Amino acid sequence: MQVKSKDYPKESARILREEPQVRESVTGATLNFDRNRRAAYAEVEAERWRDWAEGVKNHVLTHLDTYLEQAEQSLSAAGVRVHWAEDAEQAQRIVAEIARSGGVKKVVKAKTMVSEELGINPMLEAMGIEALETDLGEYIIQLLEQPPSHIVGPAIHLNLEQIRKLFHERFGTPLDATPDSLASVARKILREGFLKADMGISGGNFVVAETGTLALIENEGNIRLSTSAPRIHVALVGIEKLLPRFSDLAVFLSLTARAATGQRLGTFVSLLHGPRKPGEPDGPEEVHVVFVDNGRSSVLADPEAWETLRCVRCAACLNACPVYRQTGGHPYGYVYSGPIGAVLAPGLVGLEETQPLPYASSLCGACYEVCPVKIPIPRLLLAWRNRAVEEGMLPWVEKAAITGYAFTMTHPRLYKLASKALRLLPATALDNTVLPVLKAWTEGRAGLEPSPKSFRELWEEGL
Amino acid sequence: MKERILSRVRRALEHRPKAELPEPLTPPKLSPEEALRLFQERLSGNGGEAVRLGGLEEAKTWLAEFARAFSGAAVGKTLPDALRPDLPEMSPEEAPLGLSWALGAVAETGSVIVGSEEGRRVQLLPPTHLAFIPQGKVFGTLAEALAELKDRLPSAIALHSGPSKSADIGQVMVRGVHGPGRLIAAIVADPTD
Repeated sequence: MQVKSKDYPKESARILREEPQVRESVTGATLNFDRNRRAAYAEVEAERWRDWAEGVKNHVLTHLDTYLEQAEQSLSAAGVRVHWAEDAEQAQRIVAEIARSGGVKKVVKAKTMVSEELGINPMLEAMGIEALETDLGEYIIQLLEQPPSHIVGPAIHLNLEQIRKLFHERFGTPLDATPDSLASVARKILREGFLKADMGISGGNFVVAETGTLALIENEGNIRLSTSAPRIHVALVGIEKLLPRFSDLAVFLSLTARAATGQRLGTFVSLLHGPRKPGEPDGPEEVHVVFVDNGRSSVLADPEAWETLRCVRCAACLNACPVYRQTGGHPYGYVYSGPIGAVLAPGLVGLEETQPLPYASSLCGACYEVCPVKIPIPRLLLAWRNRAVEEGMLPWVEKAAITGYAFTMTHPRLYKLASKALRLLPATALDNTVLPVLKAWTEGRAGLEPSPKSFRELWEEGL
Repeated sequence: MKERILSRVRRALEHRPKAELPEPLTPPKLSPEEALRLFQERLSGNGGEAVRLGGLEEAKTWLAEFARAFSGAAVGKTLPDALRPDLPEMSPEEAPLGLSWALGAVAETGSVIVGSEEGRRVQLLPPTHLAFIPQGKVFGTLAEALAELKDRLPSAIALHSGPSKSADIGQVMVRGVHGPGRLIAAIVADPTD
């Protein structure tokens, strides 16, 4: 996928200005998710679970080569064909080859973020293969040709009115249709998709090295259908998604659901072990797992950022983030948004391309408090900011401004003079582009109006 | 490609201290009676339905009554003959009702465990899904259920913890989006009678 993170400051300002309903929808939905998560954590020994889950993931990551080899053996023993993709291009080529040799014409997609990361849909379309997103939210944003705005709820930024309007235009449903009737329209279209598709493409929440189990969590049943009805199933799985033991699933499945939506378990959990076995009435004839690196091994080598690879993609940090809530995920310009996106994107695609993201935070620490695998996101945000400074990535204007500011603040007389001078400027000087430094601030915001008296003067007068 | 990825991973880990694997967390076990009660409570809380039936005879009587609301049914391959309803058999694509013989259930999460030996479509395509559960296979915790399943893994095991649902349309909860909109768990005491 194309990374547009550099536009974060402009895009987030634009959304707040031009699409106020986004803030309303995203805030409502994330507060709801977060409330449910809180209750679901309170029901169990969440602290103990989080420490344990962090420990298991750290163990897996520090032995990743061994577990990858074990997983490959277990998967192969279950009849799964295992592929390895170093980057998006290789992953695309692998999927294209499976599709070509299987004579695939139609594909159903079970919500997978890694597929977005790898740009699988545009590749399939270029091959003349129809790729139908089957998660209801993903289907809606596919109709709108938008990227997902949230890891768990991809259409979280849209309100009911917008979806009614979309379905009215596409399918002729009434403008006051109930959510139930809209869902049944989509269900009918997608049901046909499941039954006609030659191939289903999913992600993977976990792969168990011991048993070769591919575990998938969902609420709608579309993942179960995508991995059961078509004759070929392809799972795209990041190399960091491994668990050592089958028994580890007990906590990880429940902890992920609790963190993501506040459920004790996703409504449907699939534990898959290869293609249909002799005597089984249905199920895919071919199952492929593609292990995807695409930047993960370099993140693993990073002495600080490697901890982001514990991520289970629950989106609890998005739901808890007061900054994400204002705009949803689109301005982040990358498939993974919110706090985890802000620390993952620089590692996966490079800091140069994603430099504004580590600043998209108030460093309040809520993301760490909720993370089921205790990723120290606030610390990592600071680490990326430090590197951006060290590598000279900040705009010269910002550097000059900060140096000037520091000098002024440490020289009281200069400070007094400067504050007086600013207040004497004509009112129009600060609300347009006279001062180029202020352009980024003033475009899209009301002009700055200096107070007639300085804080010192007010203080001396007793405020 | 595999070797290149693995060698990059090895290089990345060269100077990283190895973390130990923590012992599995063992949740407290529930008594069988407690597990049965909790399963019914949790599944209902998830929007599913649960009934507790005595032996096979009671199950048959209950099924005859239940089946009257349906015009036909798709039946899982491993369902005991005694639990086949007196309804025309239909394909899962057309049937209004799907019948499963579950591998078990999990009390703490309110989940029905189904396997692929009986077929997957029968569990997914009909709008109503009825799963019979042998009472002795209602496990208190997910950890116990997984330990029991581990020795014999079919191509697919699925945990269904209520009806299919989505809040993707304007955050309003909708049921029966892709999978069944109704899930009924019928617990049968000692079905081998």
